[in-house]
Amino acid sequence: MRRKRIDRETRAFYWFISPWLIGFVVLALFPILASLYYSFTDYDVVHAPVWIGLDNFRELFRDELFWTSIRATLKYTLISVPLTLLLSLAFAMLINQKVPFQGFFRTAIYFPSMISGVAMSLLWFWVFNPQAGLFNLVLSWFGVDPIPWLLDARYAIWALIIMSFWGMGAGMLIFLAGLQGVPQHLLEAAKLDGAGRWKTFRNVTFPMISPVFLFQLIIGIIDSFQVFTQAYTITQGGPSYSTWFYVYNIYINAFKNFRYGYASAMAWILLVAVMIVTYVIMKTSNRYVYYEGGQSR
Amino acid sequence: MNKKWLTAATGFALVTVVAGTACSSGSGDGGSKTVTITHYTIDSPDRTFVEKLIPDFEAKHPNIKIKVTKAPYEQFDSKLQSAIAGKKAPDVTSHWGYGGFMEYYNKGMLMDLTQLLQDDGFSAGDYNIPENVMDIYKVDGKTYGIPLNSYVTVMLYNKDLFDKAGLTYPPTDYEDKSWTFDKMVDYAKKMTVHSNNLAEAQYGVDFGWGERDQRVQYFGADVYSEDTWTNGGKPSKVNLDQPAVIDAYKKIYGLIHDQKVAPTPAFSKSVSGQFGDPFLSGKIGMSVVGSWSLAASSEFNFKVGVAAVPQGPNPNVRSVLYVDPLFILKDSKHPKEALEWIKYLITTEVQEKSIELSGGNPPVNQKAAEKYYGSFEGIEPAQIKQVYDGAYKYGFESYNHLIDNYSQINELFINELGPVENGDKKPEEVLPTIQEKLTKLLERFRQSK
Amino acid sequence: MNTAAAQVREPRTTSRRRKMPAAGPLIGFVVLLAVTVAMLAPLWFMVSTSLKTTKEMLAFPPTFIPETFAWSNFKELFTNSDIKFGQQYANSLIVAVFSVLGTVISSSLVAFGFARYRARGSGLLFLLMLSTMMLPYPAIMIPQFLLFTNIGLHDSLLPLILPNFFGSAYIIFLLKQFFSTMPNELYDAGRIDGSNEFRLFWNLTLPLAGPALATVSIFTFIWSWNDLLTPVLYLDSQENFTLPIGMAAMMSSKFRLAPWNLLMAAALLSSLPIITLFAVAQRRFVEGIVLTGIK
Repeated sequence: MRRKRIDRETRAFYWFISPWLIGFVVLALFPILASLYYSFTDYDVVHAPVWIGLDNFRELFRDELFWTSIRATLKYTLISVPLTLLLSLAFAMLINQKVPFQGFFRTAIYFPSMISGVAMSLLWFWVFNPQAGLFNLVLSWFGVDPIPWLLDARYAIWALIIMSFWGMGAGMLIFLAGLQGVPQHLLEAAKLDGAGRWKTFRNVTFPMISPVFLFQLIIGIIDSFQVFTQAYTITQGGPSYSTWFYVYNIYINAFKNFRYGYASAMAWILLVAVMIVTYVIMKTSNRYVYYEGGQSR
Repeated sequence: MNKKWLTAATGFALVTVVAGTACSSGSGDGGSKTVTITHYTIDSPDRTFVEKLIPDFEAKHPNIKIKVTKAPYEQFDSKLQSAIAGKKAPDVTSHWGYGGFMEYYNKGMLMDLTQLLQDDGFSAGDYNIPENVMDIYKVDGKTYGIPLNSYVTVMLYNKDLFDKAGLTYPPTDYEDKSWTFDKMVDYAKKMTVHSNNLAEAQYGVDFGWGERDQRVQYFGADVYSEDTWTNGGKPSKVNLDQPAVIDAYKKIYGLIHDQKVAPTPAFSKSVSGQFGDPFLSGKIGMSVVGSWSLAASSEFNFKVGVAAVPQGPNPNVRSVLYVDPLFILKDSKHPKEALEWIKYLITTEVQEKSIELSGGNPPVNQKAAEKYYGSFEGIEPAQIKQVYDGAYKYGFESYNHLIDNYSQINELFINELGPVENGDKKPEEVLPTIQEKLTKLLERFRQSK
Repeated sequence: MNTAAAQVREPRTTSRRRKMPAAGPLIGFVVLLAVTVAMLAPLWFMVSTSLKTTKEMLAFPPTFIPETFAWSNFKELFTNSDIKFGQQYANSLIVAVFSVLGTVISSSLVAFGFARYRARGSGLLFLLMLSTMMLPYPAIMIPQFLLFTNIGLHDSLLPLILPNFFGSAYIIFLLKQFFSTMPNELYDAGRIDGSNEFRLFWNLTLPLAGPALATVSIFTFIWSWNDLLTPVLYLDSQENFTLPIGMAAMMSSKFRLAPWNLLMAAALLSSLPIITLFAVAQRRFVEGIVLTGIK
C-alpha cells in the first residue's frame, strides 16, 4: 500500500519535471559534453572534427589575444561590478531616507535600465560621439577638450564602464526592497545604544541586506564575464583590442574564424571560471553574509 | 482557464508543426524533375537584385528553380559556414564577406569546374570575358570561379567642393603624369577646413586605397613576400620591418596627422558610423575608393566626378582590382544546373540589365561594360571608361581574394593600426608589433594545415 | 517568496518631518536631483535626436530641442524597405510572446513537481537544476547552434523560442518557492475530491499563482526582448531579424551615412513595450526585478 503511494508520487514527480529534464539533457548536458569533446578537436564545420588532444589549450595559453580578452573582461568586471553595486546601494539608501518625491526618484533612476541591450548601445554610441555627442558637450562646459571615447584604446573600455552605471537602477530597486525589509526595531535599538550612522550601517543594516548583496555580486560577476552586446554593437572589440571581451573572442573564433574546437576550449574555461568564482564568493561570504535563523535559504 | 490552456496547446502544436516542416524541407530532394539552385548573396540592394532576374530565367529553364538566400555583410561568412554545417550549403555564391577566394579554396569549399566547363563547351570569349580575367580564379590550371563583376579603385570627387575652392577637376587619363600624389595633397589642402563643428569641418582627401596591408603597394612597397602570389596565398615572410614599408605607412597616416588633409577616424565615424563612407556626407573633397561607391551615386546630394587615381611612387600599380566571381560549392548536387544559372548571369543581355537593377554594378562582360560606362548621371561615359581602362592597366588583384585566412589578418591590421589612425602612435612604433604578431599568426596557419 | 519583495513601497514619511527637513535629507535630495538629471539626460538626447533632421543632428554643439520636428524619421522606419523595422518589431513580439508562454507553462509544471513531490533523486535533481543557473550561455552555444542548425532550424525564429518550452532554471526556482508556501491541506482536500495530480496543479494551484506568474512573465519578456547573442547566431535574413540584431545591422549597414536620427527613433520605439509594461504593471514589474535580480 505504502509502496504504491511512493510510486504514484515518483511518477507524478517525473511527469511534472519532464520538460525540464528533457531540456536539461538535450540543451545543457549534451552541449556541455559536446563542447568538451570539441575542445579537444580541430573543427571547422566543413570538415569532420579531428582529435588533437590538448593542443587547443596549449595554443590558448600562448595566444596573446586570449590573454588580452581575459584582461579586458577582468578590467571591465572588476571596475564596473563593484562600482555599480556600491552606487546602487548608495542611492537606494539615499532614497530610503525621508526624502521628498521618493517615488519619482526611484522611477527616474530605474528608467534607463528599461532602455537596455542594443537600444542602450546605440544611444551610448551616439552620446559618446566624439564631436556631436552629449558627453563631450558636458565635458566642454568644464573646459575639457573633446575625447574620442570609443575610438581610443585608452578610453573605450572606460566609456563602456561609464555606460554600465546607467544600468544601476535594477540593483537599486533590489537594495531598496532589502533596506525596507530591515526591521525598524533593530534600527531603533541601535539608536538607543548610541550607535552612529556608520556603525548602524555596519552592524545592523548591512548584515540584514548582505544576502541580497551577495546574490547581486555573484550575478553581476557572472553577467559581466559574458559581456558581449557592447563589443558587438559599439566597438567590434576595438580599438586595438581594448574591448576584445572574452565572449566576443569566443564568438569571433567560432563564427568568424570557424575554429569551433578552439572556441569550445575557451567556452569550457569560462564555465570553469564561473564555477570557481561562484564557489569562492559563497565560501568567503560566510564572513559577512548574515542569514536570518542562521541558515541559508 | 481552459481557454488559456487551449491557446497554449495550439501554440505548442503550431511550433512543433513549423519545426516539422522546416526539418523536412531541409532534407527533401523532391522526386520531381525540377531542380532548385540556391544562390547565396549579401543582403543589400546591389546584390539582391538577382531576385528580379529569376522569373525570366525560370521561364527559359522550366526545370530549374532559383532560390536566393541572404545575409548582411558582417555575417556573410559565418552564415555560409553554418549553412555548410547544416548541410544546407548554397549551390552558387561568391566571396562577398571578409574572407576571400584563397580562404574558400584552401578550406576545400569550392568545386573544381574544369571538367564541367569542358563538358559544357564553355568559352569565356562567348561572354566577352578577357582571358586574363578568367585566369584570376584558376589554380594550377584548374578553374574554380567564373568572373561576374569587376570593380576597380577610382577617385571620386565632390565637384561642389572643387568649384568652391576654385580648383580644376582632376584628369581621368592615367597617362596624364602631371596628376600625382603630391598634387592631390596640394588640392586637398585647399579644400580642408578644420572645425569642431561637424557641419563646417571639411577634408580634402580620404585615401581608402585597398585594405590597410595592401595600401603600401601604391607606394612601391609590399607587406608580403613574393611567393605569396604563387603558393596559394601563404606568405613565407612579412616585410613590415623594412624601411620602404615603414615609409609608406608614414605617408599614408601623414595625410591625417602631418598634412592634416584627411579625415580622422573620429570625424569619419561621427558622420558615418562604424562602417559608413564619409564621402557621402559631402564633406570630403576627394575619395579614393572601390568603384562600388559609384553605385551609391544616386544617393549623393552633391555633384560627383570620377578621376584617375593619381600617379604615386609605384609606376606599375595604381588601382586595386576586385573581380568578383561566382563559385559552385563542392557539395552542390546540381552543378550542371548551377552552371546554367551562372552562364545566364554573364550573358551580355543580363549583364546589361543587371547594371540598372543593381544601381551600377560593373559587368565583367566587356560588351555590357559599354553600357555601364554610360549609366551614371552627370558623369561622361568616356570618362568612366577611361578611368576603368587605366585602372585595369595599372591594377593589382585585391589581397583579400589572394591571401589565405584573410579575415584574421585584416582584423589584426585594423586593431593594431588603430592607435596610428588616431594619432596616438607613430607607424614605426606599432609596425614591429604587427610584424611579430603576423609572423606568429602565419606560423599557426602553416601548422594547422 | 522573498519577504523583502512584498515590501517594495515607499517608506512612510510623517508630515511633521517634512516641514523642517534636516541637513542630511536635504543634501540627499540635492544629490538625487543631480543624479536624476544625469540619468535622464541621455534619454532626452535620444528623444530629441530622434526628431532632428539629418543636418541638425550633426551640429556642434548639439541642440537640446530640435529646431524643426522631423516626425518623418519615425515614418521612415516603417516605410523604408531596406530597414524592415515593422517586420522585425513583429518578429520580436512573436519571439517574446511565445517565449513567455513556453517558459511560464513549462516552468510552472516543473516548479510544481519540485515543490509538491518527493521522489528518489528529487533533491539531487533540484540541486542540479539550481546549478544550471550559473551555466553561462556561451559555454553551450556552439553545440546548441550545431544542433539546431543540423535539424534545419537555421534562420528561423524557432531556436529562439523552443528552448523556452523546457523551462528556465531561474523561474522554476522562483515558482517553486512560491508553490512551496501553499498549504498541504489544500491538496489533501483536492485529493479527497478525486482530482488527479494534473488537476491539482491546473485547477487548484495555478489560479492562486496569478501574481507570481505575472511577475515571471514580465521577467521572461524583458529577457527575450533584449537578447542579442542568440539571434546573432541563428538569424540570417533581414526579414527574420529580431529588433536587437536589426538595429545593430542598421548601424553597421555599409555605404550609408549613419542615420543617427533614425537609430534613435528605433531605440525609442524598441523600448516602448518595456516602458509600457512598467507603466501598466509597476508593482509586479518592480517585484519581478527584485525577485530575479534581472538587469
